[in-house]
Amino acid sequence: MIRLARLSLIAVVEIISAASGADPARLPADQLARAVRSDSISIPTPGELFAALEKPGKINWSGQYRPPMPMTYRNRAQIALNLGGLIADGFIAVEAKDSQQVKNIGSDIIKLAKALGVSEHVLSRGNSINEFAEHNEWDTLQEELEATQNEVKSSMQSHSDQDLIILVSLGGWIRGTQVVSGAILESYDAGSAKVLRQPALVGFMQSKIDEISPELRNEPLVKDVSQQLTGIQKLVSFPVGKAPSVDEVRKVNEAVGKVMEEIESKTIAK
Amino acid sequence: MNRSLTFPCILVLAAAIISSSAETDNEIEARKSALDVAGAFTNDGFKIRDGHWCGTLKPQTHALVAVNLYAGNQYWFSVGATEPAKKVAVSVYDEAGNRVTTESYDAGDKAAAGFSPANSGQYFVSVDLVDGQEGSFCLVYSYK
Repeated sequence: MIRLARLSLIAVVEIISAASGADPARLPADQLARAVRSDSISIPTPGELFAALEKPGKINWSGQYRPPMPMTYRNRAQIALNLGGLIADGFIAVEAKDSQQVKNIGSDIIKLAKALGVSEHVLSRGNSINEFAEHNEWDTLQEELEATQNEVKSSMQSHSDQDLIILVSLGGWIRGTQVVSGAILESYDAGSAKVLRQPALVGFMQSKIDEISPELRNEPLVKDVSQQLTGIQKLVSFPVGKAPSVDEVRKVNEAVGKVMEEIESKTIAK
Repeated sequence: MNRSLTFPCILVLAAAIISSSAETDNEIEARKSALDVAGAFTNDGFKIRDGHWCGTLKPQTHALVAVNLYAGNQYWFSVGATEPAKKVAVSVYDEAGNRVTTESYDAGDKAAAGFSPANSGQYFVSVDLVDGQEGSFCLVYSYK
């Protein structure tokens, strides 16, 4: 296997060449508008966001932990949003290389996934997360967390719960952005702050929420989150090439922090 | 076999099997091919996203997929295609539609493009069928 991987790498290095130039230098706006946008490839994982942040300097990842959340949510939308946030917490623990924290979060992920009635197959992921954490397999854990998230989403799809899928992604993005904006505020660096520019991503998630069933869309928590997302989109719409100032980062952090608090704490009847 | 390589390989295979319920045999084949290309970059520290996009390419057309990327990361977009598609190409455009300069890997029915975005935001990955007839393709990407 090692030999095969090495051979593949050599082949890639040998064939790397300049771009062919066969494609147009510019694509018209109508083609861009028709591009495929999907949850599985158009929404980056929290791990991707954290990878971009860690390059300019050391981040105190364990300082970004939050207290354990209650596992007693009964509202499915709230569970889905918190599940996404919890998966982001898993990526934070991986960045911190904290195997016990990874195991704790892995266990909570499975509990919330169970509350949504996902398949038994997903539940076995908890064992894998534990095993990889036990052996400090950090890169593999990143893949396992994303695979777990995708499997939860696949399970939702097959249980006609597809409206909840975007809420899992959204919860992950909000929690990831809260952590990243908080870390930037602790030690501001213009280069790092540029990771917060994501207007199209927020616009995409908003459009997906607009497509979910009116019943779910009108639930108080989903309605609140959706309304606040409109404001957050404006806050992350920095001009191309411009790094947000400390004040702009603070505004993003406060806005996503407010939504995160609501997702975690809002009391909902059903 | 090295344990650190064994686990990722198991994951990749598991992911391919899991996705099989929703994809055609040709798309699964194309995904394996794309993962084969992407796998080479893992030796250089790139992590492969589990998310992917599979579809069909017709002659003289391209598939355009929107992705959201972060400044500070490096990315490789890897594509595999199946017969009768013979040659594919991958290119990347920024949010204004301008083509981005990329490193490229070109091996007939497998191709990849790599770059480091200077700005965070939306980009578009174009997969072109350069030679051959209508066939399945799959796009995966990796980052570090």
